[in-house]
Amino acid sequence: MAESVASLARRGRELDFALIGHQESWRAAADVLAVLRGPQLAPLPDDEIKDILPWIPPRAVCHVEVGSMTGTKAHGVYIDSFIPPDRLEAAYMHDNIARVRAAAAYAIKAGAKIVSLGGFSSILIEGNFDQLPERQDTVFTTGNTLTVAFIVQGIQKMCALEGRNLRRSTLLIVGATGDVGSGCARCLAPYVKRVLLRARNLERLRRLAAELEADGVQVEIAADRQQFSAEADIVICAASLASGSLLLGRIAPGAIVCDAGYPKNLSPNAQMPEARIFFGGLGQITSGMRFTPDFHGVLNRHPFPDVVHGCLLEGMALALEGRYEPFSQGRGFITPERVEEMETIAEHHGIYLAPLYNADGPVEDVLDLFVA
Amino acid sequence: METVIALNSATACTSLSPSAAIWQDVLSQAMTGELIAAMNYTSLAEICDHPDEVADALEHADGERWHAAAFAAEGRKMGLDVPNNVNAKHWKRLREAFMRCIEARDFIACLIVQEIMLESFAVASYARVGKVGPGSLGKTFAAIAAEEEGHIDHAMEILKAERALDPQRFDDKVYRLHLDVMTTLAEMLTKECRNGHCEVCHGSCVKPSLPAVSLSAAELRGVSLQQYLKTLDKLGLPGEVTLTWLSQLPV
Repeated sequence: MAESVASLARRGRELDFALIGHQESWRAAADVLAVLRGPQLAPLPDDEIKDILPWIPPRAVCHVEVGSMTGTKAHGVYIDSFIPPDRLEAAYMHDNIARVRAAAAYAIKAGAKIVSLGGFSSILIEGNFDQLPERQDTVFTTGNTLTVAFIVQGIQKMCALEGRNLRRSTLLIVGATGDVGSGCARCLAPYVKRVLLRARNLERLRRLAAELEADGVQVEIAADRQQFSAEADIVICAASLASGSLLLGRIAPGAIVCDAGYPKNLSPNAQMPEARIFFGGLGQITSGMRFTPDFHGVLNRHPFPDVVHGCLLEGMALALEGRYEPFSQGRGFITPERVEEMETIAEHHGIYLAPLYNADGPVEDVLDLFVA
Repeated sequence: METVIALNSATACTSLSPSAAIWQDVLSQAMTGELIAAMNYTSLAEICDHPDEVADALEHADGERWHAAAFAAEGRKMGLDVPNNVNAKHWKRLREAFMRCIEARDFIACLIVQEIMLESFAVASYARVGKVGPGSLGKTFAAIAAEEEGHIDHAMEILKAERALDPQRFDDKVYRLHLDVMTTLAEMLTKECRNGHCEVCHGSCVKPSLPAVSLSAAELRGVSLQQYLKTLDKLGLPGEVTLTWLSQLPV
């Protein structure tokens, strides 16, 4: 019989890792609360959820056990910061940073050896790690290096599936100056014909362009919201958006588009019928993952089992490896070498790129059918 | 029926401004809660073994009576009569839950009910009212919230020491009391009183009118439950366990 959350919590067992996250939609938040209420109680009405959730202090929601193909296991907790899904905008920044700090304090108090910051948690903190509480023996990683690794692998896989030659491609990165966007630029720039970078901050764009140009890459930059879309045949959307609101405008027919945002970047209204869209930055655990209570399919809402965002997987992979170090910190330090190192760690424990999918379902199956 | 200090009145003002009528009900609820607390501490004194503990409990009871009197005085300043009803259905159930702990001579359970559950509710909601209440009314609520917080801190040390002896036994006890007491409190804190009149408000339910004085039932419930979770955190109960408890409360 599965151990109860109460007995797990009371055992005083060391936590190898903690994952800090938040729900990207009210539907997802409702599902989490429904699991906690249990099957014997009716789910809470939506209006009650919206009234109650903002008052819940950050805390562990469940215990997570992850296995490695080496036979080792790591034990951790998922801590929700309970940032309301409709309060991710800049107007709530101060409040949200306070929530992430409280979640971090919770992880420290729980004795987690390494903490991965998921979704907006890392965006809020990535440029400013000194905003975290005093850490004692707990280290923090944004998890962005493994996210970049899976985005890059996803692009390569999609190109292979679509019969595209990466070297003849024009790559557009939206949100290029963020930690994930700039990491993708450094990893993919040497392998494409042309790089287009888009972000709001022109000064940061210029700095990144100069860095890439010093390595002989042809780079163009723009702060305009829709510039370059029609010129790119590979697009990575890695902007920090509070909700799916990105409209790429007119894009090249058959362009490969990777939506790597959490919440998703692309607007549901984005009309791109000819684009090959997939959700990027996701990995899959192949040696088992267990939630107590059972949150399978609730905390990881993907069409494949044991799929998790790269940012969270990074903490789990480092815990399995016994490398309790702040692997990803700050903004703009993700290099191809560090990405390769993280990939090696993840693969050592059977953590690989997840099967590609988008809002309509699996991408690979669709392509297989198309080819057949 | 137990005797309550002579502040009981069934008279309700009928010619009040809309906001005065709201404050009258807010004060009535607070005053009733304070009188229940005073009765609880008086009962607690009966099961204390040590004279110092007896004196402590009676001092607390006096303090709560003083709070009730302070709320009544605030009402008078506004020209309001502040009725109370310790036999109102929810308050009566809370009192009965406390008395079951007394009958079991379970001092720790009494502290959990009064200091962790009821005072969390009082501290958080008074502090919120203290922010928006006009003039001395707001100041009184804020001052009493601060005093009640002091009570919690005092009890916390005793309860932490008790939990350290046997965490599982302690947590199981808190859970049993949570089911009894917090279920009633959660019913009191619902956004609308769907199951009939609370028997404290002088007319119809005050909750829908609270936005007129910059309050809301949802917010008062939110701050109260947040305070409760934070108090349980301080005691050392696992957050993932108390989150499940919270999520199962009635709404």
